[in-house]
This record gives sequence, C-alpha cells and structure tokens, in this order.
Amino acid sequence: MPQAQSVAAADAVLIAAWQGGDEQAAAELVRRHARALARFLAAAGAPEADLDDLVQETFIRAFRAVGRFRGQCQFRTWLLTIGGNVLKDAARRFQQVRVVPLDDDLRSRDGDPHETAVAGEAEGRLREGLERLPHMQREVFLLRAQQGLEYEEIAAALGTSPGAARVHYHHAVKRLKESLQ
Amino acid sequence: MNMDEELQDARLRELARLLGSGAAERLDVERTAQAVVTRLRERPRVTLTGWVWMQPAWLKIAAVIALVLGAGVVTRVLLRERIPSALVAPLGEDLTDLTSDQLRETVGALEQPFADESPGALDAGLESLNTIELRALLRTLES
Repeated sequence: MPQAQSVAAADAVLIAAWQGGDEQAAAELVRRHARALARFLAAAGAPEADLDDLVQETFIRAFRAVGRFRGQCQFRTWLLTIGGNVLKDAARRFQQVRVVPLDDDLRSRDGDPHETAVAGEAEGRLREGLERLPHMQREVFLLRAQQGLEYEEIAAALGTSPGAARVHYHHAVKRLKESLQ
Repeated sequence: MNMDEELQDARLRELARLLGSGAAERLDVERTAQAVVTRLRERPRVTLTGWVWMQPAWLKIAAVIALVLGAGVVTRVLLRERIPSALVAPLGEDLTDLTSDQLRETVGALEQPFADESPGALDAGLESLNTIELRALLRTLES
C-alpha cells in the first residue's frame, strides 16, 4: 500500500496544480493514467476506433469535476468510474458498443499459436459475457479482477458499501463463468 | 471453494487482466495528453451558476415550485371570481342603514355562489322574512 499512497500523494499535488491553472499538471495526470483507463474502457466494450476519444472525454469530465473529488478513493479509481459513465453515455448515443476485434489482441501476443487461439476464444467469450452484465456488475468485476482493487476502494468510488460491491462481484463471476463454459 | 473453482477464478482474473491490454498499448498517450489540454483550453470551465442550473435536481425543484405558485395564483383568481362584488360593500356597512329590499338583495347575493347547487332554495324563504329576521340572518352569515 505505500506505493498506492505515494501515487495518491503525487496525484494530489498534480490535481492541486491543475486547479491552480497549471495545464501541464493536467497533461501529466493524463500520462500517468491514460493507459489504465484505456484498458478498462476497452475491456468494458469500447471499440478501439473510439478509444482515444473516450479517454479524452473522460479526462475532460474529470478535470471539470475535480472539485468534487475529495480523495475518498484514488484518483485513478475515480477516473475509471467516470470512464464507465462516459462509455455508457456513448453506448446510448450510438446504440452499439462493439468490442475490439479478437485478432487485434491476438496480434500483440507471443507464444504457441494454438494456445494463443484458445486464449483468444476464451477472451472473446469473456467480452461477450461482460457485455451482457449489468453496468454495476461489469464495473465492479473489472475494477476488482482487471485493476486489482480492494472492495473498500471500489465501494468508495461507486458510492456503495464493500459488502454490496462483493455481492456484485460474485454475481458477475458466476455469470461470466457460465459464459466461459 | 474446490480446486476447479479456484482454477476457474484464477483463469477468469488472468483473462480479465489481459482484456484491452493490446488496445491500451496502441494508444498514443502523449498525443492524448496534448489533445486533452487543447480541449480544456478551448472549452472553458462552466461557471458555478451554470453548473448549478445544469443539475437536473435543481431543475426539478424549480419546476415544482413554479407549478405550486402557478396553481396558487389560479386558485386565488378563481375563488375571487366566485365571490360577488355586491357582498363586499353592504357587509362592511352598518346593517341598520339598509332597507328591507336592500337586505333581501344582499342576502340573495350571498346565496348566489351556492345557487347552482340548490337552485331557489333560499329565495322562497327570504320573501317571508321581516326586516329584523333578515338583519339577524345577515349577522349570522357575517360571523
């Protein structure tokens, strides 16, 4: 946790600098968190073609609303939940959120082609399963399984209790396992 | 939790960690950072007043207040229209100054708002009342 604390402290300094009008502090926050956000959005169903726009929009919303961020969770966790809402709005606008084509991810992976293909198929099923999950279950699952966050942290970011977050996660896991079988 | 379930959980977490990693790696972070800064510069922050009025909760509250006030005004106007102007002056004056005809007219006017509900109910009775009885009736109505 000391690493998380130092990350949080550095973020807090950058946030304060941005609030004071320092644009480079905003740019630095983007550099620090853009990839994690992109990974989260892509896993949640953002098409790769729209990924850059969605990442930008998430940061814009976050910087505009940063006055409401009270350090209840890490800046990155808060950012990811905003990203989830941005994606939800985008999906509503376009009425379709298609996932990154499987080959895109497969291309970037080394190793045995057969294993890669099997993993790719499982990934595809997981993506489809994720798409079918309710918004809250999907977010909790990704924050926990993909980003490795604790239930307390997830609960603080989503405005729910750790117990409820745990329940959402277990429901998500149960349904995703069914998708993978 | 048995071993199979643990393996499945571990596999699920591993797959989840891999999801989107390729797309995220291909993101040009520096370009994104500069684009965000440019957009922040182009679209200045919303003012506090603007932010407050953008909130749906405030809009709902404002709409409810407007509806309540509007309904109040309409009700008041309708009630005023139903009370005949003839009532206002005679009841304010001393009843002893009124003649029998004036008293009948006043009592009749008082009855008017209810006339639709019981047509002619009081008219018949008024004819048979004398001046003293009419004054007593008016005082009762006044109180």
